[in-house]
Amino acid sequence: MSIKKEFLKGLVEKNPVMVLGIGLCPALAVTTSVSNALWMMIATTFVLTCSNILVSLVKDYIPSHIRIPVFITIIATFVTVVEITLKAYQPEVYTSLGIFIPLIVVNCIILGRAEEFASRNGVFISIIDALGMGIGFGLTLTILAFFRETLGANKLFGYTLIPGFKPAGMMAIAPGAFITLGLMLWAMNRIMVSRKHKK
Amino acid sequence: MKDIIKPAAVLAAVTFCASLLLATVFAVTKERIAFLDSEAEKNALAIVLPGYSITDTAKTKDNKIYWVGEKTENGETINGFAFISESPGYSGTIRCMIGVDSNMTILGISILKQTETPGLGARSVEIASKNTFWDVITGSAVDEGIQFPWFQQQFAGLNGNKTVQVVKNGDWTPEMASDLVSQNAVSAITGATITSKAVVDCIHKGISEYNDIIKKK
Repeated sequence: MSIKKEFLKGLVEKNPVMVLGIGLCPALAVTTSVSNALWMMIATTFVLTCSNILVSLVKDYIPSHIRIPVFITIIATFVTVVEITLKAYQPEVYTSLGIFIPLIVVNCIILGRAEEFASRNGVFISIIDALGMGIGFGLTLTILAFFRETLGANKLFGYTLIPGFKPAGMMAIAPGAFITLGLMLWAMNRIMVSRKHKK
Repeated sequence: MKDIIKPAAVLAAVTFCASLLLATVFAVTKERIAFLDSEAEKNALAIVLPGYSITDTAKTKDNKIYWVGEKTENGETINGFAFISESPGYSGTIRCMIGVDSNMTILGISILKQTETPGLGARSVEIASKNTFWDVITGSAVDEGIQFPWFQQQFAGLNGNKTVQVVKNGDWTPEMASDLVSQNAVSAITGATITSKAVVDCIHKGISEYNDIIKKK
């Protein structure tokens, strides 16, 4: 079990959004702008890393039949910490991400990693796993947001790209998100398949 | 017995630690959050009652807060009133602060809270920067000073006694202003007519609610 492998699996081979198909709700909802996607990446990676550390530390002391409530308590605590901190120091981010900050609690990626990885592995490797998964999730969101913001709003980081150009409004709403994500999945699978054939 | 005590003790310990951490974070950030809230209220009041100084905060019968402002113009003291109103938008409640003078002319509005679609309805709170992305990265962006969202800006000067119309003229420009004021209308956000109408409804609702109180003053 090498560090590099554990980190990279979250980015490509087991990418939470593109391969495992989890965490789709925030992926579709907050990707209207690149800055939203980047903040979501920071918030999720923070919660994921903290919860993986704690779950990995306490795993031997938790009776197995109450592990889920304990994991949820740990996750919910860190999500609330993120929520209060953003409200105090980044009020604009807090308003623009809105309900999707508290909803990190129910993001399957976090409970999934606690259950599947951190509760079975050491602290250090759990941190690597959390960083890989968090960044893999965030990068997918950022790419998705890049297409949606440029095509749907003719903007990047909130600034107009081509003055006077009328953007395709559909990209800014849910159908645009599904279409973009579908095309991204197609592109990714295409690359993966052709790689396998070369081997 | 052991099967009950151990899990209970573990759960209690975990929740105790969680509460302790949350209490600490809350205590650290409490003042800053309260400060930001009061700043937001102050900024909104400065937009809806431009040039007025707030002299009084009062409550209606239903315990809703409204503000009374004063301004001296040509040796006369004129009163302005600000209040908050809510109305359902396209997705969730829209909360607006509205400022009027004693003749019910709208002095300004400020959308305090909205959860409309980004890129469409959420443009009601968006400030349209003339700088493009390329200006910003090449460093040739010009400082445009403090600006207000165009959608909210166009409400200033409209007559609150009459119905505010919603017309589809595209994005508001200062050149459109006199024409729209004479029609007592606002230009809707393209692709977000429901949001535009909801904001107008919110203002109508607020004005009808506070009409009597303001007339008495």
